[in-house]
Amino acid sequence: MSVYSYFPGCSLKSGATEYDRSFRLVADCFGIGLDELEDWNCCGASPAPHHWGGDLGILLPARNLHIAGASHDGIVAPCAGCFNRLKYAQHELSRNDDLRRRTGQALGQPVHYQTDVLNLVQLLNREIDPEDLARRARGRLSGMTLGTYYGCVLVRPPQIVRYDDPANPVKMEPLLKAAGATIPYFPFKTECCGSYMGLARKEIVLRASRRIIEVALECGVDALVTVCPLCYQNLDLRQRQINDVYGTDYHLPVLYLTQALGLALGFSPEELGIEAHAVNRPPSAL
Amino acid sequence: MIRFPESMSAGAALLAEIERRSGQQVSACYQCGRCTSTCVAAFAFDYPPHTLMRLLQVGMVREVLASRAAQLCLDCMTCSTRCPMEIDVAGVIETAKLVADEAGLKDTERDLRLLRRAFLSNVRRHGRLHEASLLIWFNFRTHNFMNDIKLVPLVLRKKNFHIFPPRIKNRRQMLRIFQEINRGGKG
Ligand code: SF4
Ligand code: SF4
Repeated sequence: MSVYSYFPGCSLKSGATEYDRSFRLVADCFGIGLDELEDWNCCGASPAPHHWGGDLGILLPARNLHIAGASHDGIVAPCAGCFNRLKYAQHELSRNDDLRRRTGQALGQPVHYQTDVLNLVQLLNREIDPEDLARRARGRLSGMTLGTYYGCVLVRPPQIVRYDDPANPVKMEPLLKAAGATIPYFPFKTECCGSYMGLARKEIVLRASRRIIEVALECGVDALVTVCPLCYQNLDLRQRQINDVYGTDYHLPVLYLTQALGLALGFSPEELGIEAHAVNRPPSAL
Repeated sequence: MIRFPESMSAGAALLAEIERRSGQQVSACYQCGRCTSTCVAAFAFDYPPHTLMRLLQVGMVREVLASRAAQLCLDCMTCSTRCPMEIDVAGVIETAKLVADEAGLKDTERDLRLLRRAFLSNVRRHGRLHEASLLIWFNFRTHNFMNDIKLVPLVLRKKNFHIFPPRIKNRRQMLRIFQEINRGGKG
């Protein structure tokens, strides 16, 4: 059995607990061992790289890489933002001696940063055999049209995250298709949702996220599937705000990938935390 | 009205600094506008991304440093992946933001800066972020008490939601990380 260091990050412990829970349920089904990283800290998210010269955006994630060490088969960060920050830190540490030295100084010992960093899609594709999933799912997702929404930081910058095609990512598809879902053409799969502007400059988020929902509906999508807690927040939690501002009447469910796969495996919407979403109507086919 | 920079040489020096730190060559931009056409936030900018690039090219670097655009950029990197000249536009803007901070230009998009700083001080103290306390703090600071309040019950109905801020054990190490950043001399 493979065992991974699990870096949940702040979101999965506060606003996205259903992501954490559904991830553990799915991982359990396939015998994927998750060992939560001891005493992990915030990856620095969007603000850290933008202040004090930007190095905080490296040192904060570096501490997590260091704690993970070489103890397991790699470190998995389900939050797309955390994944991006860990990859970024790894990239910068590998090419900047001075940064490495300073990081080591802050940690009190030479930094260990070469752990394999995986995002959620990567981990599931590595550990789950689509045929096995198809057998267990017994077509539970058939009749469901899912919009695979990748957003920004899972695929950009491509030179650093080195994951999937940055213009047209497709890696979420094999598992969802194996579970019976239909994946339509959805050209907005890498459009930005407005990022962390929700509190201070709401109009940016509402406008950007509205376009994504609108296009998804035009593409016949029953639910969006994401691996990013911030995208989830903007698209689901703020959907009512979008409706209020634009006079629309959207009710488009937004699921974490692990929730969609959880449904395929026969877990109930309550077990997966879908009930607690703002748009909590399960996708039409269920 | 076209305003010319007070000093061309000061602009050139700042531009060289931005190019060095971002590793990008601003002169390579030929103003096709593709970055702007893909930018979801440009509608809220004072200068759209391709204009920021042009301002840099002609040495009007201070306009860029003091722009709202530099603060509002989401760093979504869409422009960077679509620029036909493969310029990391987002990286250039991000560097401008850092240089603006160091130059003490702190008046544009105050709320946003406050929010980012509050986020980081939250992390310095606790090692982790607590979204709810950040929301409350931000609303008090900006006197916008109802901001996103309707989202609170939606979040509270999630299982295992923590009302109190989480903390890591090794907070001394967290402080050392922040001290190391300040020692970098860029604080
Ligand atoms: S896309 Fe590139 S070349 Fe075109 S205007 Fe923007 S920065 Fe310049
Ligand atoms: S990185 Fe900034 S400038 Fe570029 S597309 Fe995104 S928001 Fe616009």
